Amino acid sequence: MIDRRQIQNIDWALVFYLLLNSILGVFIVYSGSHYLPGDYYLKQIIWIIISFLALVVFVSLDYKFLVTYSVYFYSLLIILLGWVLFFGKIVSGTKAWIKFPLFQVQPSELMKVGLILFLAYIFAEFRHPFLPWKKLWLSSISVLVPMILVSIQPDMGTALSYTPILLAAFILAGLNRKMVIIILVCVLLFGLAFWNLGLREYQKDRLTTLVFPGQDPLGAGYHIQQSKIAIGSGGFLGKGYRKGTQSQLRFLPARHTDFVFSVIGEELGFLGVLAALLSYFLLLSRLFLSVKESRDRAGVYLIFMVSVLVASQFFINILMVIGLFPIAGIPLPLLSYGGSSLLTTYLGVSLVLNVKMRRFANV
Amino acid sequence: MMEDNKIYEELTLIQRRALWVYFVVCFLFVMLILSFWKIQVLDHKKYWALSESNRTREVIIPCRRGLVKDRNGKILAKSIASFSASIIRESCKDFEASCQNIARLLNLEKEVLQERIKKYKSFPLSYPIVVKDNLSFEEVSRIEAQKIELPELILQLEPKRFYPHDHLASHVLGYLQELSPQDIQSRQYPDRQLGDLIGRTGIEKQYDDFLEGIDGRVLEIVDSLGRRKGEITRKEPVQGKWLQLTLDFDIQKKAEDLLEGREGAIVVLEARSGEILALASYPTFDPNKFINRFTPEEWLNLIQSPEFPLENRALRGLYSPGSVFKLTMALAALDSRVINEETSFYCSGSTHIYGHPFGCWFKPGHGAMNLSSGIQNSCNIYFYQLGQRLGIEAIHQYASLLGFGIQTGVDLPGEKSGLVPNAEWKQRVKKEPWYPGETISVSIGQGPLLVTPLQIAVHTALIANRGVSVRPHILKAVQNELPARGNIPANPQTAGISTDIFEKVIKGMWRSVNDGGTGRGARVEGFDICGKTGSTQVVSTAKEKELLEMDQKLKTHSWFTGFGPKDDPQVVVTVLVEYGGTGGATAAPLARQLFNLCLKKND
Repeated sequence: MIDRRQIQNIDWALVFYLLLNSILGVFIVYSGSHYLPGDYYLKQIIWIIISFLALVVFVSLDYKFLVTYSVYFYSLLIILLGWVLFFGKIVSGTKAWIKFPLFQVQPSELMKVGLILFLAYIFAEFRHPFLPWKKLWLSSISVLVPMILVSIQPDMGTALSYTPILLAAFILAGLNRKMVIIILVCVLLFGLAFWNLGLREYQKDRLTTLVFPGQDPLGAGYHIQQSKIAIGSGGFLGKGYRKGTQSQLRFLPARHTDFVFSVIGEELGFLGVLAALLSYFLLLSRLFLSVKESRDRAGVYLIFMVSVLVASQFFINILMVIGLFPIAGIPLPLLSYGGSSLLTTYLGVSLVLNVKMRRFANV
Repeated sequence: MMEDNKIYEELTLIQRRALWVYFVVCFLFVMLILSFWKIQVLDHKKYWALSESNRTREVIIPCRRGLVKDRNGKILAKSIASFSASIIRESCKDFEASCQNIARLLNLEKEVLQERIKKYKSFPLSYPIVVKDNLSFEEVSRIEAQKIELPELILQLEPKRFYPHDHLASHVLGYLQELSPQDIQSRQYPDRQLGDLIGRTGIEKQYDDFLEGIDGRVLEIVDSLGRRKGEITRKEPVQGKWLQLTLDFDIQKKAEDLLEGREGAIVVLEARSGEILALASYPTFDPNKFINRFTPEEWLNLIQSPEFPLENRALRGLYSPGSVFKLTMALAALDSRVINEETSFYCSGSTHIYGHPFGCWFKPGHGAMNLSSGIQNSCNIYFYQLGQRLGIEAIHQYASLLGFGIQTGVDLPGEKSGLVPNAEWKQRVKKEPWYPGETISVSIGQGPLLVTPLQIAVHTALIANRGVSVRPHILKAVQNELPARGNIPANPQTAGISTDIFEKVIKGMWRSVNDGGTGRGARVEGFDICGKTGSTQVVSTAKEKELLEMDQKLKTHSWFTGFGPKDDPQVVVTVLVEYGGTGGATAAPLARQLFNLCLKKND
């Protein structure tokens, strides 16, 4: 549990940056959804409160305990992912949700935290300068299994978002040249196999549009085109809060989720974008630099994987919004509407807080 | 388990690797800032121009409601084109000023206009909101002339429901009305949205699902002036299905003409199948007046009129059946063997039962009556005797068996079931026991007994078919296909009464029309019509007050119901005229004209 001295060591700045971005998210979600039925911004506020409570709970448990028993958490989530394939509620064409009386949860989001904990466990006692094969396969499989389960839903975006976590672990563990080559070859083979067997038509379209945006201006490339027009037309100062011409983004499937940054660009202009980027940068910096504050290996892995997770989702979403990455259904952490994503991010940050506040051995 | 033998592990290697990644992240941030600078500042003009010329707008392509035709293909309801004026809030530079200008142009009160727009609060700003429909040509040209000054007001072509024959079969067809916000919230209409028209009564309501198609949608690219530049997606509308009714235009028209100037109802059925050839109710109304989305005063007047022109008296009018109920009494008495057809009673013009006087309508008295002469002359005394011997419970049982007190199951909304009283009913509703004297009233079709004209027609058909019941229906086919199971009549049941009992009653009915009986006004040469008249006296004021408390107004009326020809029934005609006097005088001659028409049509 927590004792007083540990509380002194809590990184309040990190908590502040977390909340700052969350509140910014509420404002943007409001603008992106106020004409829709259903008060999304209210739901977002409720989820922030729930996530914060979850954060408090997670922080009170010693992270070493969480890591030691991570295999149970991981297994539970694997079961939930399987469950959802049979009993899940279908939302927007994917079976991703488990419905509870008052809210719904995406186990695929929580799996990210599960994976981070489990991979930290695998690498915790890892002392070699470079990664041995056995660990490579073990960690890869433990990531591949949930990836496959999630892509059956089908939710390719979330499935692919597990790979940065694995990559982060590999980077820390150290890859020699041979491994890098083998990994690249595997990825290539997988990619080809997937392309021909696994990918659906619309998913292929998303990739081709990336490379040849002009080819189908009214089809798959349309969303990206409209997103860029929205952002570009915002100019330096933007069109004003809630004054974005809705017709630009009317058909975008999720103004308040995936394309939230387009709303910032159109309504708050370059200055707004700069402010949002700065706010995010503060959070990410704080997360990455916390690596120095861990006193054990597992802690470093935890902090680094959480940082990479948040950073990778952030970059993928922003690149998608300006047309430099295929549309992948990845939400912008903290700013997009989405309870499960919010919860995951908060749990991730709670792990970082956890490690930092227990960094003194005598505490 | 974690090793704890080192206090601080040697972590610098992995921490260094982590920090390398951090530098990459910083680098990416700088790249992002530069990208946004390019898009938002350097290329700003380009994107601004694109945004002005390149917006999307969703336009609805309204579907046409299905036609309604009579059994011979004559069109009773169709769709014609009409113009409506709609406002697009997104294009308003100054909403208040726009409302001012538009209200003036369309000759509306500004508050009324804003009320209409307010309902669509949660809709996207680019959605065109209809503010006035059924525009005249003059209004259309005025709006066109102002097109440049008022780009936020657009004209839309909409299909409008039109009933080419005005008030003909208006009760059967019904009318349409706009969905209210409460209707939308009640979630009974998941496929509809605000502004849609939906059937409220009659066929328009009953078969709204068939008639209503699905609107199409187009996602258009428009410029900032609202001009179309191209299309992104298009979904064509699905037109409504057309319906063929069982109504016969000529018979329906004749029935309505006969009722003109009166209050009442006429039902004409095909005896064997239960198909409704005519269903008329007077007074009537012109449903074309309801087609506007916005409630005209005329509709309010109709709603509040004391004559209830909107009520379909054939299904919803509750009346005493009067002497027409004697047919049911005869069937009941024969089947329970209280009498046979030769049993005779003497009518002297009046009698005493249970110490009270009861009279016959023919004061001098009919003399000796048996079953068929009792029916032929509609002798009250004869039926008092039947009532006394049967008792109210038996009467209740037979009446319910033969179709009274329950809905006929016709495929029109709002049918009433009527009432067949008995001791249990009286105790439950009036908290009083049943008095034997009331049985006597019921046996000539008076008392608390209530029926609808449709029930009488269906009852008559049952007699005509010698005990096989029919379910009356108005839908013949949906686009040349017979409707699904749910609409065609259920397996006809039999009443369980033997056919020769029916024959005996029919004999009396034949004599009533063809042998100088009370129904002779309905006689048609060469067409063996069998019928029964009915006329009720005005009820006592005390009784009328009682019934008003039950929310029912008892009417005096003139009945005739009959079928023909006797041995191969083709058609059933039931006529009810309120305040019409005796059945023989008023209703029967009207029926004759209808039988004549049916006979002519068959040749």
